[in-house]
Amino acid sequence: MTKMSMNEIDPILLSVYARTFKSITDEMSMSVQKTARSPILCEAKDFVTGLYDAQGNMLEQTENLPILAFSLAPVCQYLIEYFGDDIFEGDVIFHNDVFSMGNQNNDVAVYKPIFHQGELVAWSAVKGHQADIGGNVAGGYNPRATEVWQEALRIPPVKVYEKGKLRKDVWDLIFANIRLEIVQHDMRAQMGACTVGERRLLELMEKYGRDSFEKHKLALFDATRKMMEAEIATIPEGSYSGEGYVYFDGHHEGTKFTIRVTVTIKDRHITFDYSDTDAQTDGFVNGTYTSSASAAILTFLQMVNPDIPHNQGMVEPIEMIIPEGTILNASYPKATTFGNHLCPPNADAIIRALAPVIPDRVTAGWNNLLASLTTGLDEEKGENYVDIGFMGLKGGSGAMNGTDGYDHIGMIDASGGILDQDYEMFEQQTPHLLKKHEYLTDSAGAGQWRGGLGVETEFIIGSEDTQVVIFGDGDFEPAFGLFGGKDSTLNEIKLTYPDGQVVVPKNKDLITGVPKGTVYHQYAGGGGGYGDPSKRDRAILVCEIRNGIISPEAARADYAFTDDDAEEVGS
Amino acid sequence: MGLKIGIDVGGTFTDFLVAWEDAEPEIFKVLSTSDDPSSAVISGLTEIAGKQEPPLSLQEFMGMVETIVHGTTVTTNATLTRNGAKSGLITTTGVRDALEMRRGIREEQYNNRYTNVVPLVPRYLRAGVRGRLRRDGSEVEPLNLEDVGKAIDLFRAEGVEAVSICFMNAYANAEHEHRAAELVREKLPDAYLTVSTDLLPSIRFYQRVSTTVLNSYIGPILNHYLKQLTARLGNNGFEGILLIMQSNGGVMTPETARRTAALTLLSGPAAGPGAGLIYAQAHEQDNCIVVDMGGTSFEAALVTGSPVLANEGTIDRHQIALPMLAIHTIGAGGGSIGWIDEGGLLRMGPQSAGAVPGPASYGHGGKLPTCTDANLVLAYLNPDFFAGGSMKLDVDAARAAIKEHIADPLGMDVESAAAGMYRVTCNNMAQGVREVTIKRGFDPREFPMIVAGGAGPVHSCMICEELQIPFQIVPRESSILCAVGMLMGDLKHDFVKTFVARLDKLDWPALHQLVLGMVAEGTAMLMGENIPQARQEFQVKLDCRYLKQYHEVSVAVDRQWIDAGDTEAVKAAFHAEHNRLYGYSLEDQEVGVELINVRLQAIGLTDKPKFRVQEFAGEDASKALKGERDMYIFSQQAFRPVAVYDGHKMRFGNRVSGPAMIEQVTTAIMVSDAFDCVVDKYGSFALYKKGHEDLVGSGLNGDQL
Repeated sequence: MTKMSMNEIDPILLSVYARTFKSITDEMSMSVQKTARSPILCEAKDFVTGLYDAQGNMLEQTENLPILAFSLAPVCQYLIEYFGDDIFEGDVIFHNDVFSMGNQNNDVAVYKPIFHQGELVAWSAVKGHQADIGGNVAGGYNPRATEVWQEALRIPPVKVYEKGKLRKDVWDLIFANIRLEIVQHDMRAQMGACTVGERRLLELMEKYGRDSFEKHKLALFDATRKMMEAEIATIPEGSYSGEGYVYFDGHHEGTKFTIRVTVTIKDRHITFDYSDTDAQTDGFVNGTYTSSASAAILTFLQMVNPDIPHNQGMVEPIEMIIPEGTILNASYPKATTFGNHLCPPNADAIIRALAPVIPDRVTAGWNNLLASLTTGLDEEKGENYVDIGFMGLKGGSGAMNGTDGYDHIGMIDASGGILDQDYEMFEQQTPHLLKKHEYLTDSAGAGQWRGGLGVETEFIIGSEDTQVVIFGDGDFEPAFGLFGGKDSTLNEIKLTYPDGQVVVPKNKDLITGVPKGTVYHQYAGGGGGYGDPSKRDRAILVCEIRNGIISPEAARADYAFTDDDAEEVGS
Repeated sequence: MGLKIGIDVGGTFTDFLVAWEDAEPEIFKVLSTSDDPSSAVISGLTEIAGKQEPPLSLQEFMGMVETIVHGTTVTTNATLTRNGAKSGLITTTGVRDALEMRRGIREEQYNNRYTNVVPLVPRYLRAGVRGRLRRDGSEVEPLNLEDVGKAIDLFRAEGVEAVSICFMNAYANAEHEHRAAELVREKLPDAYLTVSTDLLPSIRFYQRVSTTVLNSYIGPILNHYLKQLTARLGNNGFEGILLIMQSNGGVMTPETARRTAALTLLSGPAAGPGAGLIYAQAHEQDNCIVVDMGGTSFEAALVTGSPVLANEGTIDRHQIALPMLAIHTIGAGGGSIGWIDEGGLLRMGPQSAGAVPGPASYGHGGKLPTCTDANLVLAYLNPDFFAGGSMKLDVDAARAAIKEHIADPLGMDVESAAAGMYRVTCNNMAQGVREVTIKRGFDPREFPMIVAGGAGPVHSCMICEELQIPFQIVPRESSILCAVGMLMGDLKHDFVKTFVARLDKLDWPALHQLVLGMVAEGTAMLMGENIPQARQEFQVKLDCRYLKQYHEVSVAVDRQWIDAGDTEAVKAAFHAEHNRLYGYSLEDQEVGVELINVRLQAIGLTDKPKFRVQEFAGEDASKALKGERDMYIFSQQAFRPVAVYDGHKMRFGNRVSGPAMIEQVTTAIMVSDAFDCVVDKYGSFALYKKGHEDLVGSGLNGDQL
């Protein structure tokens, strides 16, 4: 970065730029949320909006689902290199290719170059999880896949608009390979949001001029980098290692893989080195470079000041070493759709590495994701439906010193950014009948600070010949406790058919022909506890027992709760 | 028309606007009394009576009052401070935790110290009962009254004062809810009861249960307060009509308010936008932006013909899905504290010094630099004329605080640091205005800005420059704008019904019947409030969306379109609104449109006071000139002498050229060098961008001109 002397910079205008960038990406986010069709986008907010400078450096992002977030700038830089001089005002570019910095096949990005007085000055972009992306299985999760073409349509950088004109042939080629029509409309919603970002950034440029924008942008990166470096400098220098585990690759039962990270703090910089991580798998349980890097960044961001602006300066002091051929960075043409979901074990490894060094800034383990996706025909409506069971998959977060885990927050890669379906909307959009969606008693890992609670979900499947895809983990190893805190409960999904047969799917599975009337039952586990449970505040325990989230038996067994405690609190 | 009084009970002050039929309105302010807000109301009224010529007793004065319109923050405060009623919830078995889960959101994703809100009903008082309806309202399992009875027994044993009932899919069939309600009324006759489908018969379970519980939580509080207030007013000779301000900008009778307490959660600020519109209309404008900057918060709202309604909002992170004015609040006020973040960026707020310890310059123990301190250093505030001179401000204390916390860390002088604080504050407020304009598809430059609140007019020129708004109006009553607005409110009742259908397959006669039924409900309600049919109006909106979208757009429709089954007209209106809001429509894509909810607003028109037109006093404002003071001028980044005027002496037609300072007892108007100012026929200060006198329009075209 160019060295800026502060006297060329108006420190006040700097604040104005920072605040305005954020308001623009928020506005883009609102636009997608209100116009998209797929509940994955508009209800669960599985998308990210962002602004980038002419070189593809991040200016600001709204990260509804952080696991996508740190792929947008690298892809932007790739596009700039790919197209070279061939970028014009009015172009719109699509991209999802995981072998050119994409994070997951289903996460399709729209990029729009922004021109001011004939010059490329910035980019606006929206990346969102599409309801379908072609490939073998509707919805995109194909646990049987061994290579990318069985998973998805690959979209390397492609212009769908050039100089403001729709390339109808290209558009039709793409959408001829995608099952659901709503994907077209959702991509239009993403394009609309990019236009919103373009308009607002140009207003800013008109007002303060290109020169001011460029100078202040660099100063903003600089200020942010200093903030991040200051945070890193509070961690003692040294190298720290940790492990996280992945169970089952979808093909070979009983398999287990290890993510090994060495975190090195030196000279106000942090390095995440995954060189000792296990090799890639034969199935779709593989990460991409950007999904794995995102996982590391978002985990680390939870250990530092949450107010640091999200721009190029924030990521500059962070270095990644993720060798190709490992389970976190699969080589071409491996299947990778599960890659985003390697975030929880990746986060486990980082937390385990840093917990001894910064015990007050880490959480215990978070509940790992175990998800399902049901598709079938809603006979009453004569329409097909696709539903990701967001409400069922969201378990608890890990506790930290001084703060209990967050109940029913979901996996760490979303951190409470994705929402449950509304129950009545769920019954409108699917033929299912919801029987239960409640906190799961005793699911929280015990501790002086307890983990967040998991949930129990039960619904009756309302379509014949239903397809259920299961993807996730957390059914072998629970979220771990820290410093005397206890582990939580395991994830579990089971199907009880009308004839009484009970099917427990594997954690990566594809089950077809599930009959109407089958009871779908899911337990999402809690988060790990922190500190000695016997030190937990007795008055809070009494409340929790009364509210039925901790049973009297568990209180006695895990928390050494006695009748005297109850009386003491009562009086 | 007789005497009308608008009373706005706020956190610090209780504001009064006394509107006589044939005299200028009078403004009063007394300190609020938080433990019993009605006592400030009575003491204020007593003071007002005593100031009449000749002085009147409270009894005599109250006998003359025809209407009191009242805005209150009791329900807002009860929610924010968690002092509502002990509440219980009866809901469908299996979903009792929806209230607490809030769909699993954590608003601050990277902040592991951020905890969930404590629910308004604890889990052990959330009773799941058996009985189930499908999505079409048909019964899967009959309601289990035994379960309901057990819940009631528990509530009685626990001393529950307020009960909520909310069942799955009840929007499609309210029968189970009504049967459970009967039992509650019979067995717990003293409990406050809210039935979800009475309050909000529309789809989305979490929104409905959250809104229902909020209503019950604050219902008994409002009930108690209104009882106290009506008794006190009655005992002191008041025989007129008392009306309560509601969140949708309309008013309602105390009887209605008791049943639908949740409609009062924005009771205070909701009057502002309507009041702003009156001042805009003086300049033939039907649209405006209304901003109100007080001690701790800044509120912005948009008016397009009428104040913009949102169908939902949140209070303290609890969702409330009742129509309320789209008022955006941010933590930016006179008391907002300036600080430097770890990256060296200057920030303002949202922390506020409040009244205690207050800004450093108040000398009440505050040591941190606030927005007010910066204004003082820039000389926008007169240390000897703050609140009309009743309070002296300490400039040295302000400078010291800014030097220590802002100027030294940034390596600048105190004046530049103060200028920076001012500018960042204005930028924050400009972002707040963007929330209600650009984010809803409106261009702020097309709207005049109405400026209210004690701290508003000191900052409004820079906000306008930031957003390129060329025209602003500072009402003479700007510091009590909401009290003004309370006298301008009509009775307004909102109804919503879910009616899911594709427009091209819609059963129009059935929809027509549904609307007729809603109109009948509205008519009955207004009749009960003594509004004759000739003064009743009904407005219909349809919440539509493209097939398979998840969020609807509310489209205002002509009732005749529904009567005639005019699909095309409804579709066209929907495409246009979608395009305006989100930058595109799918009109030419042959994508189906579906209806989700029908909304009806029943309006009972009330008499409103008219503002008197002042006599034209000529352009020359020199009679009001008080002197000159060096103030910071942004365009020159330096202090320059600026003329100071006494706003109370400025009359219709008087004109001053910016930069200029216009001081009044309750507020100061900083006219920047980009603006000029003229007093309009109602005595409001109209600020227009230099060279754009034409924007002032008919506000100057009194009969006298």
